[in-house]
Amino acid sequence: MPPRLSWIRHSLLILMLCITIAGCNVIRITLNTPISQADVAFIESGKTTLADVIGRLGAPDSITDSDIGVVATYRFLDMKYSRVNFGWLVKPWSPVDPDLIISRTGFGVDAFELLCDQNWVVTHQSFLRQLSGPRFNPYPF
Amino acid sequence: MSVRRVLGIALLGLLLTQGCAFSRGTLGDEIRADAIASIKKGTSSKTEVLAALGAPDRLLQVNGRDVFQYYRYDAKAGSLLLILVNFSRLSIKSDDLFVILNREGIVEEVISSKRTDGLEFRFWPFGD
Repeated sequence: MPPRLSWIRHSLLILMLCITIAGCNVIRITLNTPISQADVAFIESGKTTLADVIGRLGAPDSITDSDIGVVATYRFLDMKYSRVNFGWLVKPWSPVDPDLIISRTGFGVDAFELLCDQNWVVTHQSFLRQLSGPRFNPYPF
Repeated sequence: MSVRRVLGIALLGLLLTQGCAFSRGTLGDEIRADAIASIKKGTSSKTEVLAALGAPDRLLQVNGRDVFQYYRYDAKAGSLLLILVNFSRLSIKSDDLFVILNREGIVEEVISSKRTDGLEFRFWPFGD
């Protein structure tokens, strides 16, 4: 391929890439600080009290009663949304405003729950969904 | 500092912040630290708690005790609208206070955390 043709081809490719990127949106929403397995590794069922947990993780988002004890819940969310509008590729040449959008949202809703006995000692603990965390990926299919 | 310099800095500041958006939303009233400090475990009564903090957002029955829950949410959103690419980040954190009362209506435990202190406007959605 002659050097001039190669240069034009590369320029066109870069231009198309820029126009595609122009239709990009990246959004992230976080609720509270996500808790990881490492953050709760100190909890020993039958030994650790709710007060110990609160000392490390802060107050839970909710405390509810059940027949077998008290449930303390820490809720968190790490939502990731990305969107690409391929309509921008034909925008410079089109008389209308075209849209060809692909987008994807990973909600990343999770909670850490503790079950405590009558003396506020933790008897069971678990993450609700055990998510690894969503990624920014606009491909929905 | 000369007027020209001040105008130049102001103009530069305006140019640099073009395409930026700041938004904030709150739910509930601030839970005052002095009000929390005034509640003493083993001595404060239900009436004193209500006088210091007002009516609770939620009233729970836990482990045979009354629990008053107070909460407040704070949300800060930052957006970079760069024409080519848009980045937005919304961070939400909550302050929570639980006051556990025994059967006699005396405060048994006070559990609180203030997460909103470290809440900042963030634009970059990647990373932590």
